[in-house]
Amino acid sequence: MRIVVLGAGHVGRAIVDSLYEEHEVTVIDTNVDRLTAVADRYDVRVVEGNGTTKRIIREAGIQNCSLFIASTSREEANLVSAMLVKKLSGARVVVRTTSVEYLDAWREREIDVDFMVSSELETANAISGLIGIPAARQTDVFAEGKIQVVEFDVPEGASRDVIDRPLREAELPQESKVVSIIRGNELTFPRGSERILAGDRIVVIGSPGAAREWSRLISREHQRVDDIVIFGGGRMGTTIAHVLLDRGIRVRFVEGRAERAREVAEEIPQARVFHASAFDPEFFDRERIGRATAAVFALNDDPGNLFSAVLAKAHGVQLTIALAHDQTSLKVYERGGVDVAINPRQVIAEELVRFGHDPRLRQIAMLDDDRFEILDLTVRAESELAGLRFDEMPETGSVVGAILRNGDALIPHSKDTLQAGDRVIVFVESRRASTVERVL
Amino acid sequence: MRLKTGIDIGAAFDLVGGVLKWLAPAFLLPVVVAIGYGEPFWPFLVAGAITGLAGHTLDQITGDKQGAAVTPRESFLVVATIWLLVPIFGCLPYILGGGPQLDRPIDAYFEAVSGFTATGATLVPRIEELERSILFWRQLSHWLGGMGIIVLAVAILPRLRIGGRQLLQSELAGPTEIEQLGDTIRETARRLWRLYVVLTIIAIAVLGFIGWSGLDDNLTFFDAVGHALSVVALGGFSTRTISVAAFAPITQYVILVFMVIAGINFLRLYRFFVQRRFDVLTRDEELRLYLALIVIGTALIAIEVIGGGVESGEAGFRHSLFQATAILTTTGFATADYALWGPLATVTLLLLMFSGASAGSTGGGIKIIRHLLLFKLVKRELEQTVHREAIVPIRANRRVVDEKALRSTIVFVLLYLLTFAVGALGLVADARRAGEDLSAFDAFGAAAACLGNVGPAFGFAGPYGSFAPFSDLSTWICTILMWLGRVEIIPVVVILTRAYWRS
Repeated sequence: MRIVVLGAGHVGRAIVDSLYEEHEVTVIDTNVDRLTAVADRYDVRVVEGNGTTKRIIREAGIQNCSLFIASTSREEANLVSAMLVKKLSGARVVVRTTSVEYLDAWREREIDVDFMVSSELETANAISGLIGIPAARQTDVFAEGKIQVVEFDVPEGASRDVIDRPLREAELPQESKVVSIIRGNELTFPRGSERILAGDRIVVIGSPGAAREWSRLISREHQRVDDIVIFGGGRMGTTIAHVLLDRGIRVRFVEGRAERAREVAEEIPQARVFHASAFDPEFFDRERIGRATAAVFALNDDPGNLFSAVLAKAHGVQLTIALAHDQTSLKVYERGGVDVAINPRQVIAEELVRFGHDPRLRQIAMLDDDRFEILDLTVRAESELAGLRFDEMPETGSVVGAILRNGDALIPHSKDTLQAGDRVIVFVESRRASTVERVL
Repeated sequence: MRLKTGIDIGAAFDLVGGVLKWLAPAFLLPVVVAIGYGEPFWPFLVAGAITGLAGHTLDQITGDKQGAAVTPRESFLVVATIWLLVPIFGCLPYILGGGPQLDRPIDAYFEAVSGFTATGATLVPRIEELERSILFWRQLSHWLGGMGIIVLAVAILPRLRIGGRQLLQSELAGPTEIEQLGDTIRETARRLWRLYVVLTIIAIAVLGFIGWSGLDDNLTFFDAVGHALSVVALGGFSTRTISVAAFAPITQYVILVFMVIAGINFLRLYRFFVQRRFDVLTRDEELRLYLALIVIGTALIAIEVIGGGVESGEAGFRHSLFQATAILTTTGFATADYALWGPLATVTLLLLMFSGASAGSTGGGIKIIRHLLLFKLVKRELEQTVHREAIVPIRANRRVVDEKALRSTIVFVLLYLLTFAVGALGLVADARRAGEDLSAFDAFGAAAACLGNVGPAFGFAGPYGSFAPFSDLSTWICTILMWLGRVEIIPVVVILTRAYWRS
């Protein structure tokens, strides 16, 4: 497949890195140095120039390409160039954005591109998933955070409301569904007669609220998650704050630049904003930063994130999550004792590349060492399953965990029907994933 | 006529001239009333002619300034002069036809300033002795000044397509940004006036009906119109010496309702009544505090009035509610001689004079939004002593209020209190000089009532009395206080600074 990537920055490089082996990749950028760096490392064609002009896009060979990824950090440039490509060729167009407004406009089909992702939002959702469910072994969010998939190890102390009794009698949180019980090496898609036992590993799909409720039912030792401190009030920091606040989690902000601190305080009235240094132990003491359940480090530089995270850890913060702008930082963070390191550019590059594989497939998450996958697909009109009730469907080795219909998330029950155009979150064994993709 | 100053005086006075020209036709209304009652109408014709001529002359000598912009700097001068000049012309009918109670120029000017600033303080001890046409002109001056001659000017003067926003802002928005009702500031001003006119017509209709249907035998149609003009402007002039006490309880309740409505920000009222945006009122913080203050004020006064045995039952409640509302909204009507009530009631009323109505209403005073912002400032200050690094933007109705606006709010309130102090001190000093019997409380009351554009104060200047016993000097002090209160002090202080006139 011929692929054109606009932008040779961090995200562009990450994309090229995962695509160049199997595809013919062309990279466009205005900066010669960045292009040279990419060309030296990967076997790709480079075009120097402004990607928002027809001439350069043609020069990159847009007519013969089947996928165009606009990945620069300048979102207007990404959009202009995406519009041009839409006019000039039949290639699928993927756009990176930081703006939630653009994302909304795209979802409402007002911006005509095939796929749009925001690294801020993806990262924020990932972080919020980690923070909100302290008992989770692993978690992933779908559909802009409306649906969460969580894997739990069920301990002895789990609530009797959910374990040791048939699922249909158990008091499970509303808006959630147990899609799988893994006992030893055996995986089941449970029916109402099945019981959850201590020692099981379960996979639950549901709303974020339901996921938190599950967390409380599974482990009562973990205290309620509240009070998250975010260091760095950039766009990443504020996006994370919005996502957390939407889930009812209290947020505090620490920002070093007075002007920016003021902007953040005006933008997010629900958050307490401090104009303070992220490296000031006295400030940490004064504001009892150590009592926070988690701290997120979204400063612009990785050394700063590390320093501040270690300081926070020393003050008693339970969970430290630091953003890494550089791959090598990930290892340094680990050595330094940071609990979770996330590279936002990696997150978005993965997302963009996934879309490159199957346009209907929005997201894949791998659970339990790749034995299972979660697919996020839209049901085609010609799908043989469309219009069927769930209890009438043939066995496919998969479970539809959630449906997004007209923007609302719903958890389907056996009497509900699947409709064409539904966006479904499917839990499936990895070896049967392609079958499911085919029939839906 | 550009002198060597940073101010385009020509443009400023050109605008003042324009306003005067438009004021001239207003004198025709009392002419109609005079003819109707068989009273001499020439005082109004003469006054109107002089006003028109003065406006025209001012227009001529300032030359062709149609294109000249009134910048924010000139607008201070315009606002300050208009509220001084308009009463000069407005007092001519009193001098020419006001009879023995009003024909001294200083008295006439006081009465006109009190009228146009919608204060309602009067120098006339026996109101019923004035001619009907003069009474009508008093009420009409309230109405013209209430919504603001300046708002009207922005609505109709073509030259104010430029610079109108500044004028409107200084006239009615208070410390928060003005929100436009239409596409243009001119359209906004027009809609405000339209709402004002409609409210007035409704008030005339309702009060007129009460008089006509016999629900209140004391209320003539003339009284109905007079009180309607006064109440929507939150003025306070009455056609009766004993104010609204002359009427039946139902009339008093109707007037009460109109006072409460007129005390709300007209920008919100417009959205509520015309655009049917019901959330605008229910979510308005200023409105909530406004209503809360009415309730608290009523309760405190009721303790004195009912508990002290002055009145009981419905009458006690009615007087308490009416008086708290009339003073808080800076109207100044009275259903009883509250000056005779006990200290809990009178002190409450004195404090309510400092509250004022909502920003953007026709009332005066400090304005409730400013109190709200001050309260939030105090809260923030306390919060920041605990959280030193915390950044806490102050919001009013979920909108962030600019730090500059907060500073100017503090400055305004301080200036207001300072002006009040100087005014009260001036009144007692002059009373000592003239050998008048003026108690400390009454001096405070008179200064607060004039500066807050409330009107009646306490003692001899109480609701059934008049300001006539004051010496000429004290009358001047009260006049200046009313003027300062109406223009909200700052424009006057600004034009008194040297920096203002330098280029």
